[in-house]
Amino acid sequence: MRLRFPLLLIGLAAVCALAGFAAPAQTPSTGVASRARHSGPFVPDGLDATEVSEIDLEGLKKILQRDPKDPRPLLINFWATWCDGCREEFPDLVRIDNDYRDRGLNFISVSLDEVTEIKTTVPDFLKQMKAQMRVVLLNVKDPEPAIHAVDETWDGALPATYLFDKDGKVVFKYFGAIKPAELRSAIDKLVRGKQ
Amino acid sequence: MKKHHALSLFLASILIVGFAAVAGSGRNGSDLPAPPAIGTTIDDFKLPDTDGAEHSLKSLTGKNGAVLIFISVQCPVSNGYNERMEKLAQDYKAKGVNVIGINSNATEPVAAVKSHAAEKHFTFAVLKDDGNKIADRLGATRTPETYVIDAGGKLVYHGRIDNSQNTANITSNDLREALDEMLAGKPISKTGGAAFGCSIKRAS
Repeated sequence: MRLRFPLLLIGLAAVCALAGFAAPAQTPSTGVASRARHSGPFVPDGLDATEVSEIDLEGLKKILQRDPKDPRPLLINFWATWCDGCREEFPDLVRIDNDYRDRGLNFISVSLDEVTEIKTTVPDFLKQMKAQMRVVLLNVKDPEPAIHAVDETWDGALPATYLFDKDGKVVFKYFGAIKPAELRSAIDKLVRGKQ
Repeated sequence: MKKHHALSLFLASILIVGFAAVAGSGRNGSDLPAPPAIGTTIDDFKLPDTDGAEHSLKSLTGKNGAVLIFISVQCPVSNGYNERMEKLAQDYKAKGVNVIGINSNATEPVAAVKSHAAEKHFTFAVLKDDGNKIADRLGATRTPETYVIDAGGKLVYHGRIDNSQNTANITSNDLREALDEMLAGKPISKTGGAAFGCSIKRAS
């Protein structure tokens, strides 16, 4: 009988530990979440995706830091026109943007194309996709600090998609072409219902 | 005592169910396989080349080590490194380090891998990793992605080739620096590096 209580404690500890292990995608990665809780400048929506703006590492950090005055959940997709998986998933992302923009989702698309393509290949592709989300092109000499600013566990494989809740916690991340139903299900938990 | 047994069984079942849940969450796109830590001994494995002949990692490793590079037929980033990979193979073969290319993309059949290697004049071995078993074992996620294994079979570097797809912008030659330090018997000062690349397309 004396053993029961310690055993229960061990059992509870085991369950808690496993719960932590079993839901890695639900827990914030240290790199993003810790920064995302800090305040940052407001990032306005851009509805004309054909105008792609250039950002540097600091610009990326500002996006990741969020604005406390903007409580919308944030979806960020890292992609490039040279990436097969990115092109493959892009129509689904455009549909998700169209379906959720009015329901309070902020979607920022981060292109990793060469800066020389900012007025050519990238907007041409976006026009073809009829994309309307805000699109920025990250121009950095060394990609490593940018990749680590996003997520210490990410090594730069594209595409990569992150969904943050209003508190800046990563609630969904996916490497490779997204499965739309999974991403929609994660977004549904954060935005208001259909009107 | 019976109660203790029952409690123990209950706890054991929780652990089993819990571990099954962890294992089940492993191979999707939100939780990619973790790579081995630097310093880990890489177990020998066998893979076929593009003619179907099997080779072991051990048999292809040079007297001073090997560089495994996950490559792609179609990925423009990987293709942007073709000449650099071939030059690396030639430069380091003479120093006892062999480059080994591995194609784990489920979307790139062995015939395409063979013709690509011939077209690009690769002189290093190119192996086909059907079912991405070795990519999973090594936690490889993108192309190009490299692993340096020393003469003792230990992983000493895992990451990018350099910091830029554009040769004019290279400021950090991470892979070569790691190889040179390894060959000089020095500790590796930078054991990895991240870079943008194409996701390895795993078998579903």
